[in-house]
This record gives sequence, structure tokens and C-alpha cells, in this order.
Amino acid sequence: MLSRSSGDRTLPTLITLLVVGVLLMTFDVRLQGGGVVGVLRSGVQSIVNPLQEVASYVVDPVADMFESLSNVASLREENLVLREELAEAEAAIVAVQDQLARLELLEQLYEMEASGAELGRTVANVTGRPDQVALVIDKGTADGIAPGQPVVDTNGYVVGTIEHVTAGSATVVPITAGPSGVTVLVGEQVGTLMPQIGSDDMRLEILEARGPVLVGDRVVTSAASVDFPAGLPVGEVLFDAAPSLDVLNSWVRPYFDLDTLRIVVVLAWPPDPIGAVGGEEPVGVTTTTLTSVPDEDLGE
Amino acid sequence: MRLRAVVVLGLVLLLSLVVQTTLIAQLRYFVPDLVALIVILTALTRIRPEAVLGVAFVAGVTVDLVGSTLVGLRGVVYALVAYVALRTRDRAEIGRVFTALWAGGLTLLTVVLLVLIGLLFGEASVLGSQVMERLITIPLANALLAALLGPVLVRAVDRDTTALRFT
Repeated sequence: MLSRSSGDRTLPTLITLLVVGVLLMTFDVRLQGGGVVGVLRSGVQSIVNPLQEVASYVVDPVADMFESLSNVASLREENLVLREELAEAEAAIVAVQDQLARLELLEQLYEMEASGAELGRTVANVTGRPDQVALVIDKGTADGIAPGQPVVDTNGYVVGTIEHVTAGSATVVPITAGPSGVTVLVGEQVGTLMPQIGSDDMRLEILEARGPVLVGDRVVTSAASVDFPAGLPVGEVLFDAAPSLDVLNSWVRPYFDLDTLRIVVVLAWPPDPIGAVGGEEPVGVTTTTLTSVPDEDLGE
Repeated sequence: MRLRAVVVLGLVLLLSLVVQTTLIAQLRYFVPDLVALIVILTALTRIRPEAVLGVAFVAGVTVDLVGSTLVGLRGVVYALVAYVALRTRDRAEIGRVFTALWAGGLTLLTVVLLVLIGLLFGEASVLGSQVMERLITIPLANALLAALLGPVLVRAVDRDTTALRFT
């Protein structure tokens, strides 16, 4: 046990550290991750991320092997299901190719030009999970990644947004843990998805609700969202719910699975973040024109 | 604090941080908080108590900086837990089982403080989605590791092969 002699400076040291810690937290909240704290974060991540990349290069195959061994009984069954899904997906591709050819023909007939609205995509590996919340990926500013860009998984399901970026890495905060909600579209109704403490599911709130939502209804990002391009699949409704005094509340289970994410795709959206921030055109005009169709138009 | 102890402790903390964010992050049921465990076990070494608090704070802030949580949150929590560890460390020196129980209890204090202080500063999801599950699994895993690794770490840092040699 420590003695409480006059030479014991443990308590003053602790108090000093607590004050410094609270000041750091306050700075981080007030500066919203930027400023000195942002520089510190980038510096530390630049040092640790190469080590994480090396470690994950070694760890991932081993983890995969153990995962496969533990699931060996169900692998055969899973393979059969996957084969069926593959056959269905190939049939769907053929159907889409037919539709694309038809679309191209119609565009030629009406003398329409391609909008050039294709989003840039950067595929990145998940190299670390620094806490139980965020993901670290192996692409950074050198690859065109910028804070705020949307991140989806390989199926195109919304995962989250980029929070911090260094030259060779970036931190992704999932929508289930982010501080702000996601503006979404359920049918023709615009609502907000909010993360919940201790849950992978998200609360759906629709103000000015006009109709019910049903179990399994698909939830996609809305054109009103400032963080995501419109139309990205987010999840599905978990419970039937009807409006009460114009407000509707339900729950949504996101499609993405944080535990199994190894590869993600970062979307270059807004397409020109520098122009969007400092240029002549406002952000909303740029993004809407190039990437999305307003909800009203979708509804018609 | 001696230079050798600084180097050993620094390397162990860096290694535990990298392992925590890569290997441990992929495990489902065995999810220790390695950095918190090293901080707690540091209290058993002969390093000056003020230095132990400093190490705990710096380790916590580093974890915050690598991750996405509020910078300083883990620094504050680890410093508080290190202080409690210093005040109660004689209980851990009775035997290996007591070391495990002591480390497990302090880890539980760590995760509870992380959740509570995190909530105060708006960090709602500091432990991820399975908060209740992690309140149990993290202390249990740390207790097990403390029984296995505690004496080894103390001997390595103090360069004393007789440290924590329970009979």
C-alpha cells in the first residue's frame, strides 16, 4: 500500500492528469476533431497504421483459417446456398444487361447524353479496429480519400463515413455509432435513422408520416441527406408501425455486418469536395445535379 | 523511471495496441482490453507511482488517438484506474488467483468508467453495440490473462526474476 507521506505526489499527479484529460476532451468536442487534436491524431495514426497493416497481413489468414475450421460443418451447406445465389445473380445480370441495352437505344433515340455522374470509388482493406466502434482502412489522402466521404461495403450497403484521414490510412465511423443520424427514404416517406446505445439496430423516426411502414420495407438514403448520395441501400424495417399524430417510430436493421467487414468501398462524394466547399457552386447544387434525383421526382 | 523499463513498457504497450486493434478485434468471445491490462499490471512493478499514472494517461490518450473516440477519454479513465491499482496493489501480491481477481475487478471498473464518462461527453457507443456483454467478457478475459502474463511482465520490467513468484 502506498504511504501517505509528504513525498507522496500521487494524488496531485492524478488530479493534474485528470484536468489535462478533461481539457483534451473539451478541445476535441469544441474543435470537432480538427485543430491540434486532429494533427495529433494524424501523427499517431501515421505511426501505428503501418504496424497494423503488417499485423493484419499476418493475422487475417490465420483468423480466416480458424473461422473456417470452426464452421466446417456448415460450409458444404453454405456452398450450396451460395451456388444457388450465384446462379440467380448471373440471371439478374443478364436481365440488367438487356435493360441497359434498351436504355442505351432509348437514349440514342431521344438524343440524350450520359450525365457523367458516375461516382469515383476507392476499394480499401480494413486493417484495424482501434476500438469496438471504428474501422481503419489502408487508403488515405494519397488515394483521394477525404473526411466525410461515404463508405459502403462490397454489396453497396451503407457502412458509414470517413472521419479522420492520414496520408496512407483513414478511420471509418459506422452509421450505427456515428454522432449524427442518416436521412433515409422508406417508400416515399423521408425519415431519420438514429444510432442507439448498445444496439446494432437503429431507430427510425418519420415526421409528417403519411402512411405505415411494414416489416421488411427497404430503407435507402434520401436525396435530402447531406452525408450520402441518394438511393444507397441502408437496411430494412424490423417492425410494422403506423403514424401517430403525424410521427412514426420504428426500428431498422442495417444490412452491413461490421464483424465480417474486410473490404470497403469509399465513394468520392461530393464529387468535388474542394469545389463544393470553396467553389462558387453551393454543395447542395453540386451534389444534387450530378448524383441524385430528388425524392419528389422518384415519387412521380 | 529507468531507461530499460521505459523501453520495455513502451514496446509492450505498442505491441498490445497493435494486437488489440488487429487480432483481438476479430475475435468474438475472447475480447480482452490488452492496453488496460498492461496499465493495471504496471502498478505491480517498482516504477514510481507518479510515472505509472503518467504511463497510464499516455497509453489511454494514444488509444484514443488511434481510434475514433474522444481524445482524453481513455487517458482519464486509465489514469483513474491506475491510481486505484496503486492503492490496492498489495492485494494482488498474495497469489496468482488474487492477481487475476484484482486485475479483473479493475478492468470492470475501467469499462464502467469508460461507459459513464463517455456518456457524459456524448460518446454513446464507446464499447460498441454489445455493451452488457462486454462488461462481462472483457474483465473475465483480462483476469485470465493477468494470471498468465502478470508475473512475466513485472519480471521483465523490473528485471527481477523473483518478482511475483508465488509459492
